[in-house]
Amino acid sequence: MITPWMNSHLLTFLVFAPFVCGAILLLFPQRQAALAKLLAVMGATAVLAVAAIKLFRLPAGENGVLYLERAYWFTAVGVPVEYHLALDGLNFWLVILTVFLVPLTMLGTWNSLSNRAGTAFALFLMLETGMLGALVAQDLLLFYLFWEAMLLPMYFLIGVWGGSERKYAATKFMLFTLAGSLLWLVALLYTAGAAGSFSPEVMAQAATRMPVKVQNLLFVAFALAFAIKVPLFPLHTWLPDAHTEAPTAGSVILAGVLLKLGSYGFLRFAIPIFPGAAAHYAGHLAALSTVAIVYGALVAMMQTDIKKLVAYSSVSHMGFVMLGIASMTVVGTQGAMLQMLNHGVSTGALFLLVGMIYDRAHTRRIADFGGVALRMPVFTTFFLIVTLSSIGLPLTNGFAGEFLILNGTWLSGFGWGRTAACFATLGVLLSAAYMLWMFKRVFWGPENPDPESGTHHLNEDLTPREIAVMLPLVALIFWMGIHPQTFLGHSEKQVARALQQAQAPEGRPAAFDSEVK
Amino acid sequence: MFLSAGELSAILPLLIPAFGACMLPLASLDKDQATVKWIRGAMFLMALFSLGGGFLYTARLWASGAQPAFGALHMDRLAQFSAIFTFVAAALAVLQLWDHLHQEGWVKGETLSLLLFSATGMIVFVAAKNLILLFLGLELLSIPLYALTATVRTRSQAYEGGMKYFITGAVAASCFLMGSVLLYGVTGTLDLATIGQFLGAARPDPLALAGAALVLGGFLFKMSAVPFHQWTPDVYEAAPHPVTAFMSVATKAAAVLALMRFLGAGVSGPGSLRIQSALAVAAVLTLVLGNLAALAQENIKRMLAYSSISHAGYILLGLVAGTPEAHAGVIFYLTAYLFMNMGAFGLLSSFGLVGDRTTFDDVKGLGWKRPDHAILATLCMFSLAGIPPLAGFYGKYMIFKELIVQGHIGMAVTGVLASLVSVYYYLRLPVALFLEKRSEKAERDDAERPAFKARMAGAALIVCGVLVVVLGLFPGSLYKGLAKRVAVDAFQAVR
Repeated sequence: MITPWMNSHLLTFLVFAPFVCGAILLLFPQRQAALAKLLAVMGATAVLAVAAIKLFRLPAGENGVLYLERAYWFTAVGVPVEYHLALDGLNFWLVILTVFLVPLTMLGTWNSLSNRAGTAFALFLMLETGMLGALVAQDLLLFYLFWEAMLLPMYFLIGVWGGSERKYAATKFMLFTLAGSLLWLVALLYTAGAAGSFSPEVMAQAATRMPVKVQNLLFVAFALAFAIKVPLFPLHTWLPDAHTEAPTAGSVILAGVLLKLGSYGFLRFAIPIFPGAAAHYAGHLAALSTVAIVYGALVAMMQTDIKKLVAYSSVSHMGFVMLGIASMTVVGTQGAMLQMLNHGVSTGALFLLVGMIYDRAHTRRIADFGGVALRMPVFTTFFLIVTLSSIGLPLTNGFAGEFLILNGTWLSGFGWGRTAACFATLGVLLSAAYMLWMFKRVFWGPENPDPESGTHHLNEDLTPREIAVMLPLVALIFWMGIHPQTFLGHSEKQVARALQQAQAPEGRPAAFDSEVK
Repeated sequence: MFLSAGELSAILPLLIPAFGACMLPLASLDKDQATVKWIRGAMFLMALFSLGGGFLYTARLWASGAQPAFGALHMDRLAQFSAIFTFVAAALAVLQLWDHLHQEGWVKGETLSLLLFSATGMIVFVAAKNLILLFLGLELLSIPLYALTATVRTRSQAYEGGMKYFITGAVAASCFLMGSVLLYGVTGTLDLATIGQFLGAARPDPLALAGAALVLGGFLFKMSAVPFHQWTPDVYEAAPHPVTAFMSVATKAAAVLALMRFLGAGVSGPGSLRIQSALAVAAVLTLVLGNLAALAQENIKRMLAYSSISHAGYILLGLVAGTPEAHAGVIFYLTAYLFMNMGAFGLLSSFGLVGDRTTFDDVKGLGWKRPDHAILATLCMFSLAGIPPLAGFYGKYMIFKELIVQGHIGMAVTGVLASLVSVYYYLRLPVALFLEKRSEKAERDDAERPAFKARMAGAALIVCGVLVVVLGLFPGSLYKGLAKRVAVDAFQAVR
């Protein structure tokens, strides 16, 4: 009885199963935390299993849609709202990434949370619902609901289980995100009021009837909400605080999935609905992205805290994603799609590793370490691989994504394309500099002589559990680097469709988009 | 005999609670009421019983679709909605009062009687189609509230608050009366619809405009909108928590619904623009002032008082938009507000925070002690802040949508920014509940005080919290089944 229901409501199941599981776990008393954690991991793994078994077998339907659920939900003030979920090339791998990262993160931070860990894991599952829902929602109001619903669990994860400045960081995270999304709501309601629907296709048609100025203004409102989430320079200031204060698990999910929703929002909604305005502002987006790449890298270099360094490297890497999208080419955007996955895997892994060393040393200051390689060889190996993938060494995942993005930007035909590509390449160099410098100071050289320092607390290498968490991530890093086509095949048609309306600038080679794959 | 069946059914929703209100003082005559639990229980049951009876009767009336009238008292959809709304609010308040009054050690049956009288007054206020009846309703709803504010006589602030409310309320009521007199003097009629047509004219008599302004002031006072809001924080702080909750929800709703009828009663044409711009100014001022002042509050009740002011602003925005959809949005908003605000105040009662112990410091770390109540109250707070997918979001969504469609984009942006500000102060409660640690002194004080179960208040809180979530997930049924029908039918009946 359950199987047929699940086959016809696969996405509903994937989206809401974690929530139901989390809601049940919330009722567990504190002394049952271990059991609650176990059940949470089992629940998340079950969701992953269902996704792995079912999603890869889906045949591509009309317009590349793999799976569709569409039902009328309610009508208020004259605009119908639909319960419209779909899985297609744009969100397929992000959904897989999400269901994959959540159980892994839980396992990776099994012992990190000392108090009320069961509640934290329950909130995690609820967060998973918000993220998956936002990824598959096609109706804009539904998307908005999931988008906002993600905030609450994340707020509490940072606020309750975070570091010393957690209240400040959590409130800042909440207010920044809401500032963008509330103004976006006004734009959304305006467009929906004009279109009489929350469906992106209908809204896009309505948008073409609007004056160009209005379209541009609406695009800016849409872009603002998404850019805060990405976060694009200069709206990034919440990110380092949130990352530094959040517990490891929160950081992994924040970097791994939440940030992607911003760039995904551009691809899914902002650009297809306002293609003209998007082309008009592509230069501005590219400029901000390039600044984010270089600035993020420079600031990362100066950090004394490993986690903060990784947080600023996120700003830089997400700058690449936005640059790829701003190039408005299929190649660049495909690169952005890949880079989103890369960043999710690499930075997620980095945060996990930082969390592992923090659990042992109770410090994250670079200066407190030194010579860690001697004490923890296995950990060092993993950290080196992930560092190299974050830098973008060929054969690791980072390379493929950055290459496509730079390629797309260079050939985009926009006047700024080549300049932006040059500066972005500088960002790649800088990323090598800050990551390797940090690696050198933490892992190599003599041990920190101070007996109170971090190194002297590192008495055991990774446990089998931690190795089991890292292995799939490392495998993915190489797979994505060696055969990126696996991860690009689904999205190509979809990306092309999303960009169809955005006018290509004059001077772009005509055959370019179809030629390069 | 004298009453036809229709007339009787029009006034029965008033008679049932009024009858209960008259019987309650008889029960509380017993001087043992402070000591014998079953007498207290019987009084509360009586109050709940008459509220339940009124609710059931009105619900049946609603289901039958009848809109009976008794003279100038029209029990139409708008009034029926108001009756149902008031009964639910009063019942939730009674449940919370049981625990709160026991915590304060001051259980009196008269409190319940006053509450029921006030509820009756609210229904009269909304059902009135004539200035005299309107004023009667206003007084009947206000005077018991003055006394209710000062209920717990053992607290010195209670006197102060009650007196403040009484004096300012009396001034507002006399302004309202003066306005009615002017309107009557100029137009020569007491009928709201005729007065509305008169006001809708391009160049009405300036005296009539002055009258309308005074009457509007009376409505805005009851709604606690700027610039008639000054009493709100002091009175809200002084009154017992459940009474504050009832005041903030039901009084506001009665004033809004009555104003809706007053405005809807044919104030159209060029004259409506004038009233609309007055409302728009009040709405924007209310939003800005309410939200900014709430930021600075250390006391949860004062914060909720300013939040209640700011919510009056959102509701006024809906009235500014003025379309039937916007009115339906306002009604949705009010319903959501009923549950979320009742839930927010319910937390204070269910945690047994009596007297002045209602600052953010007092609830620090309490969330982990009663996680079920604290989580639901937190949801109510998020709903007040308008975060989806909770009920409060949809009210704002509908109102903003209509504002934008009507071209008032600047006002919508103001409203949105105001609700961004509001997130900050609503977050302070969950921050205090979950993110902060209980201080050692508070732990010691807790140990000294007898543990309090607060079952009734807890039940009321759970009902509110669950409804906030359910309405958030399924807003369509409430909108279609209740809000839209009220808005459409109320307007058809008038026009």
